[in-house]
Amino acid sequence: MMTEPLPPETPPLHRPRAASQPLQPLSWAGWAAAVVTIATLTRQPVYLLLLLASIGAVRWRCVQEPEKRSLSSLRLGLLLFASTALANWAMVRAGTTELFALPAWIPLLGGGWTLEALAYGALNGLALATLLVGFSLLHQVVAVRALLRLTPRAYYPVAVVLSIAVTFVPTTLLQLQQIREAQAVRGHRLRGVRSWLPLIVPLLEGGLERSLQLAEAMVARGFASLAAPHARGAQGLALAGFASLVVGWLLQLTVGTLWWTPLPMAGGGAALLFALWYAGRQHPYTVYRPQPWQRRDWIVLAGALLAAGAYLLPIFDRSTLFYSPYPTLTGPALDWRIGLATAGLLFPALL
Amino acid sequence: MIQLEHLTYFYPGATHPALKDISLELPDGQLILLIGPSGAGKSTLLRCLNGLVPHFSGGVLSGRVRVAGLDPVAATPRLLSQHVGFVFQDPEAQFVTDQVEDEIAFALENAAMPPQTMRVRVEETLDLLGLTPLRDRSLQQLSGGERQRVAIAAALALRPKLLVLDEPTSQLDPKSAEDVLNALVRLNHDLGLTIILAEHRLERVLPFVDSVISLPAADDGAILYADTLAAMQAVELVPPLVAVGKALGWQPLPLTVKEGLRFSRPWLAAQRQAGKLLPLQRRESQRPGEPTLQARGLRVRFRQQEILRGVDLSLWPGEIVVLMGRNGAGKTTLLRTLVGLLRPWAGDVSIGSRPNTGRTVAEICRQVGYLPQDPNSLLFAESVQDELLVTLHNHQGAGTLQQEGFPSQLLARLGLADKAAAYPRDLSVGERQRVALAAVTVTQPATLLLDEPTRGLDYRAKMALEQLLRGWRDDGTAILVVTHDVELAAAIADRVILMSQGEIIAEGPPTEVLATSPLFAPQIARLFPETGWLTAEDVTGALQCQD
Repeated sequence: MMTEPLPPETPPLHRPRAASQPLQPLSWAGWAAAVVTIATLTRQPVYLLLLLASIGAVRWRCVQEPEKRSLSSLRLGLLLFASTALANWAMVRAGTTELFALPAWIPLLGGGWTLEALAYGALNGLALATLLVGFSLLHQVVAVRALLRLTPRAYYPVAVVLSIAVTFVPTTLLQLQQIREAQAVRGHRLRGVRSWLPLIVPLLEGGLERSLQLAEAMVARGFASLAAPHARGAQGLALAGFASLVVGWLLQLTVGTLWWTPLPMAGGGAALLFALWYAGRQHPYTVYRPQPWQRRDWIVLAGALLAAGAYLLPIFDRSTLFYSPYPTLTGPALDWRIGLATAGLLFPALL
Repeated sequence: MIQLEHLTYFYPGATHPALKDISLELPDGQLILLIGPSGAGKSTLLRCLNGLVPHFSGGVLSGRVRVAGLDPVAATPRLLSQHVGFVFQDPEAQFVTDQVEDEIAFALENAAMPPQTMRVRVEETLDLLGLTPLRDRSLQQLSGGERQRVAIAAALALRPKLLVLDEPTSQLDPKSAEDVLNALVRLNHDLGLTIILAEHRLERVLPFVDSVISLPAADDGAILYADTLAAMQAVELVPPLVAVGKALGWQPLPLTVKEGLRFSRPWLAAQRQAGKLLPLQRRESQRPGEPTLQARGLRVRFRQQEILRGVDLSLWPGEIVVLMGRNGAGKTTLLRTLVGLLRPWAGDVSIGSRPNTGRTVAEICRQVGYLPQDPNSLLFAESVQDELLVTLHNHQGAGTLQQEGFPSQLLARLGLADKAAAYPRDLSVGERQRVALAAVTVTQPATLLLDEPTRGLDYRAKMALEQLLRGWRDDGTAILVVTHDVELAAAIADRVILMSQGEIIAEGPPTEVLATSPLFAPQIARLFPETGWLTAEDVTGALQCQD
C-alpha cells in the first residue's frame, strides 16, 4: 500500500501583494533592456561571463518560489551554447589553428576544423544562452500582464487584447490535448496532411466560439474597443512624428553627423510622445492599485542605465567589446571599468 | 425595472423569429427564473436586456425594450454596463485577466473610476461574494464554483441595478452549483438586487424564486409569466418533487423537501394502512457469463500525486453502472485509464477478456465507446452523417462494421434523422451531445463509457438520453456513466459506485447506495424514506398498481 501523502489541497498564493512590495515592471523592463543591449553588443568572453554571473545572482536572490527554481532554462541554455559552438566548429573553415582535418570530399564537414571556429561559436552560444537565461528570469519575476500595462494609454485596448492572447496560448494547448484524445478514441491516427483536419477544425472553431463569447463578455462590462473618434488629430501627429524620426535617422546614416542632423529626430520623437500623451487623455481609464515608485526602482533603473551606458557611450575603451578570435586565437583585450559597470545589473539582487 | 412591448427579433438571415411578440413587465427586487427548452430563445431574450442583441449580434429587432429607464437599443451595451451586470454560462470564457482582484477591477478601470473609489469598490464586492480569502489567487487555481462567483463579482463591480445570468451553473457540479445559487439568493434577499436567471436545475432554485417566465418551444404556445406556484402548475417538465405533488394532488404545491414531507408522511401512512402499496419491482442486475470489462488494482499517478489507488471494477453486459463522487475523486481519470489514454503504473485492464497492454487506443476503442466530457472536441466533419462515417472509416477492418445503413438507423434512434445533413456545430447543446454519442457508438461497441453526458441538457433532452441508454442496456450493452446528476443516477442506474480520493468507497444497488446518502439522495428518496423509491415514476408506478 502506498503511504505517500497527497500534497495539501490549497495551492500556494499567487503573486502575494501585501508581503513585500516587488519592483515596478518598468524597472524590470529597463533591467532587461540593459541585458539585451549588452548581450547583443559584445562578444568579449569576460564581459559576457560577468553579465551571466550578474543574472545568476539576481535569479538566486529574487526567485524564491521553489516551483520556479527549476533549472530547465539553464539546461536549455547549456544545450543552446553547446549546439551553437559545435555547429560553428563543424561548418566554418576560417582560422589558422587547425586541430584536425576530415577528407575534403565530405560535403560541409570536410576540411580543417579550427580552434578559432570553435571559440567563435562558443562566444555566440554564450551570448545567446545569456539572453535566454535573462528572459526566463524576467518571465519569472514579472507577470506578462504587468509588462503589457506599460503600453502607452492610447494603446490600452491593444494591450488588453495582447494580454488576452497571452492567456489564450495555454488554454489552446490544453484544448488541443483534449481534442487529440477525443479523436484517438474514435480511432483517429495521424497520417498525412488531411488527417490533421479532425484536430485543427475543432481547435479553430472552439477558439472562435470562445473569442466571440469573450468579446461579448467584455462589451457587457463596458470595454470599448474603438478608439475615441476625436483622437484623429493625435494619430496624424503621431504618424508625422514617426516619419520625421525615420527621415532623421536616414539622414544620419547617409550625410553623417552634422549639427543639424539630430534635429528631425528630436522633433519627431517629441511629436510622437506628445501625440501618445494627448491620445491617452482621450482614452479614460484608471489603474487598480497602481504600484508606487520606490527608491529601489530608481536605483535599479540607474544601475541598468550605468551598465548599458558603459557599453553604448564612447567613454571607456569600446574597442574591447568587439573581440574576434579570427584569424588566430589570442587573449581578449579588457577594459576593467566596463567590466565593473556590468555589476550595475546586480542591484535587484542587493536591494 | 424591465418593460418589453411586442418584442420580436430575427437573427441575421433567419426566416423564423428567435423571439416572437413578447410583452412583459417585470418589477424591481425580484428573483426571476427564466425557463424553457433549448432553442426557445432564453439567451436571446437575456441579451436584449443589455443591448448585446442587437448591437453585438446584428439582426432585426422590433418592438420596445426599456431597462432601468433606458432603451438598450438606442443606448449602447457600454452604457448599459453601468446598469445591467451579465454573467455567462462558461466562467472561463468570460475572464479577461488571470487574477481575482484584477478581474473584478477590470470593469472599473474601463469606467475610469478614481483609484481610491475603485479600491473601496473592489473590497466591497469581494465581501459581497465571500471572495476575500481568494483575492490574490490566480483564476486557474479556483474551482468551477469559485470561478463563477468571481464572474458574478466582476459583473457586480459597477453596482448594476439588474443582474442577468445565462445558465450560470450548467457547467458546474452540484456542490459548486449550490454555492453559486446560494450567493445569488443572498444578493437578492440582502440587497434587493433584481436578478433574472436562466437555469435548468429547477429543484435547487425553486424555493427562492419569486416568479417564473416560461418560454415555449419555437412556434408552440404562448409565453408564460406567473408566480412560482402557478407556473409549476402550468409547466409540464418539473422537478420530481413537484411532479409527485401534482400527480397526488397536493395543494399548495410543495417546492422544498421540507414542504413535501408534510404531505408525504400522512399519505404514506394512509396508503400503508390500507395495504395498497405493492413492493417495489426493481430491475436486478444480472451477470450472465464473463464481464465485458474488467480492471484489477488500477493505480495511476499524475505529477507525483496518486489519483487512482487500487481500483477494481467489472462491467457485465446488460447493466448500467453509475459512477459518482466529488470533483477530483478520480472518476474521469478512471475512464481515461480504461480506454488506454493513461497508463496505470500498477494493475491491468482487460476488455472483452483481452488485456489492454500492448494495444493502441484506437484498437481498444473498437470494443469500447468512450464519450469525453466536451462533445465539441469530437465534432469536426461537414455533416452529422459524415461524423459517423469518419469513425467507421477510422476503425475499418474491425470485421463486423460493414452493415449497410446502420448509421442512419442509429441517427433515427437518437432522434437526429432530420439532422443528418446539418453542420454539427450549428446544433443545440443537447443535439451536439447526441451526435457525439452517435459518433462513438456507431461501431456498436459492447461497452460504453460516458463522462457527464447530461451537462447542459434540459429535462426533455435528459429524458431522451435516459430512454436511449435503457434501450442499449436491454440490447446487452454494458454502460458505465460518470455523472454528478443525482436524478439521472436514480433514473437509470442498476448499480452505483461511489468514489473518493481515488478509491471506490461504496458499491451496490441504487436503493442502498443512493437512498441513504445525505449528498447523493434524490428528492424522492428524501420525500419517501424507507420505501426504496428513487424517481417520480416509482411513485406513480405504485399508484397504477392499485388500479
